[in-house]
Amino acid sequence: METDWSKVLEVFGSGIIGVFLVMFLLQILTQLSTRVIDAVENRGKSADVETDQSVVSAKD
Amino acid sequence: MFDIFKDLIFSSGFFSLTGGNMVMWLISFVLMYLAIKKQYEPLLLLPIAFGILIVNLPLTFLMEPEHGLIWFFYHYGIELDIIPPIIFLGLGAMIDFGPLIANPKTLLLGAGAQAGLYFTFFAAVLFGFDLQEAASIAIIGGADGPTTIYLTSKLAPHLLGATAVSAYAYMALVPIIQPPVMKLLTTEHERKIVMKKLRPVSKLQRICFPIVTAMTIMLVVPPAAPLISMLMLGNLFKESEVVERLTKASSNELMNIVTIFLGLSVGATMTAGTFLNPKVLFIFFLGLFAFIVSTSAGLIVAKVMNLFLKDKINPLIGAAGVSAVPMAARCVHKVGSEANRRNYLLMYAMGPNVAGVIGTVVAAAILLKNLG
Repeated sequence: METDWSKVLEVFGSGIIGVFLVMFLLQILTQLSTRVIDAVENRGKSADVETDQSVVSAKD
Repeated sequence: MFDIFKDLIFSSGFFSLTGGNMVMWLISFVLMYLAIKKQYEPLLLLPIAFGILIVNLPLTFLMEPEHGLIWFFYHYGIELDIIPPIIFLGLGAMIDFGPLIANPKTLLLGAGAQAGLYFTFFAAVLFGFDLQEAASIAIIGGADGPTTIYLTSKLAPHLLGATAVSAYAYMALVPIIQPPVMKLLTTEHERKIVMKKLRPVSKLQRICFPIVTAMTIMLVVPPAAPLISMLMLGNLFKESEVVERLTKASSNELMNIVTIFLGLSVGATMTAGTFLNPKVLFIFFLGLFAFIVSTSAGLIVAKVMNLFLKDKINPLIGAAGVSAVPMAARCVHKVGSEANRRNYLLMYAMGPNVAGVIGTVVAAAILLKNLG
């Protein structure tokens, strides 16, 4: 059977590029989501600290 | 009396035995020896070896379509795509994606190792395999048994036994195959690189990762859905910490049960008629080539990344981009600690290692999309 070389090159090229693109996209989204979560969690923590400080000063 | 005895003799399997059957018994005994004595991937090699033995006993008709016992396991488990996704469910419930979330750049290393897979695809076509067969052989380089089985059962089911045994055999041989490649492609100085400490990962980040990954990959490459959805569901079970029973069931009982059926079914595809031809033996050679090229590609991508990174990574961790979890990461750690005894690379290598699992699924899905 004759090999369809244009198909081979298509699979080869689209495969390599496709895997890198998908993984790169996943990298960006993972970085983005972790940063957003970090920001939200840090904000939550600083809000808790502020609340604690206001409770302490109210007691004083 | 004599007639009954004669009938018993002539209806036995002895008179239907072929030389090919006996060669397959020999292969089965070798695999049993490797599984039991050497403990090379025994959980799968042992049922595979037994499957090979019993399917090569004549007149048992265990793989007879619509009748044979193992044919039902094979048909419902593999042909209908049930078993590989269930294995992925269990795998997800066991994998810790923490090192990957702490250092998402390692996702590119998981992609790098898959590049080797496409070079093998090209090589297999050059050696005369058709495109579907070449893709099934190439996926061996991903070092991921269930994905190899999943893809081969769809593209070239006649090669299932050979590609599966080849994938599991080379996964077991990671500590022998990878170190020479690692040493050849890295300098002593590079192997000594100590990496920056990984950032802590919060529980919420761990919970969000499987959801983000499942949505992203399934939206971009829909054919990856069966495997990636189960992998991420298992991981969500684990990270949510609210369904301990489901996590345990996925990673222990369910996974162990399907492993028995998977091994037996794969072994049973290896009849003398399908297995004993030069093409199949060549698959083992190309499988080794795939594994070496994938390891090399991971290392090279890590070296290229170092050209652009401020905090250098140890290029050895690129070799863990093949998804033999956690053996490839352990191997990286061992080679790294030989160069620098204070260098503890295991956690850093786990990032690309688990990225390799995702990368192999993506690569398989792209092959399926193009050739299925």
